[in-house]
Amino acid sequence: MTRRPGWTDLAGLTFTFFALGVTVNVLVLERIGSETKTVVAALAINSATSELAYLAVRDAGGTIIASLIAGWIVASRFGLLAVSLGSRMSAGRLHRVAAATQAFDPNVTLAVQQRDRREVTRVFWIVTAAMHAGWYTGTFTGVFLGNVIGDTQRLGLDTVFPAALLAIIGNLLRRRPGAVAALLGGGLCVVLIPVAPAGVPIIVSLVGAFVALTVPEPGATT
Amino acid sequence: MTWTVIALLALGVVTQRLLGMFVGAAVLERIPALARLASLIPAAVVAAVIVQLTVASGKSLVVDERFAGMVTAGVLVWRRAPFVVVIVGAAATTALLRL
Repeated sequence: MTRRPGWTDLAGLTFTFFALGVTVNVLVLERIGSETKTVVAALAINSATSELAYLAVRDAGGTIIASLIAGWIVASRFGLLAVSLGSRMSAGRLHRVAAATQAFDPNVTLAVQQRDRREVTRVFWIVTAAMHAGWYTGTFTGVFLGNVIGDTQRLGLDTVFPAALLAIIGNLLRRRPGAVAALLGGGLCVVLIPVAPAGVPIIVSLVGAFVALTVPEPGATT
Repeated sequence: MTWTVIALLALGVVTQRLLGMFVGAAVLERIPALARLASLIPAAVVAAVIVQLTVASGKSLVVDERFAGMVTAGVLVWRRAPFVVVIVGAAATTALLRL
């Protein structure tokens, strides 16, 4: 994706979050059986992975406390992304509160690639609007029309979100520090998935970012 | 999932986001040596999320149709294909292999 997302990029993001909203909420509705709760959970928790982690641990026989902890841990990445966003945007306190509640992977990753602080804020909110247009329509479609769409995995919709994320970090991967951070973060995740509790591999991936700090930017003076 | 669970999950998630914005970001801004983390954190964390969504099935690692879809996405990103082409190409590869 280009550093400054254009209209087709934003339309693609809306489609991505529509697909995500449908696939996640069909699964959540199957497990909790209430349309109202599924919609409220999607809008209030504001983290699909948190919902899925909670349900996965409950399904595996975990206690409510253990399931809640899993749900919180997998959402810790949004806290990390908020660190990144907060250090780059210029905004007042209320504006920051609003932005923090909307810190997701695509909007933060695209925003922090902007050079100017005002552009960081502008791109963040434009991308957020595109994402939410898809997430809300996808949520309602998944909850109320999920049986019409059928098996979303058959359509390959579960690949749309990771593919979108890969395109979004594409520019970061072309620079050595970004590539090192991503390769180490992803590599640590692969190693830890079989042995660590849900969500922990993603927290540990942060090590990749710290190691990449030691890699000089090409052309930078040290 | 009870209403209390929904409220507790929501509270936990939003608290982490606010801590990141007001505590973590303040630390990052005060230590110039860490300034570059602003773009490196998303690279590391998002790469881990991609791995999780591509090869994880519970606590097992599996190489299935999702992986093939992501290989297609990787090639398209490397060739600087438009965003829409990347996501449609990945989904189409996965869907075709599941026929």
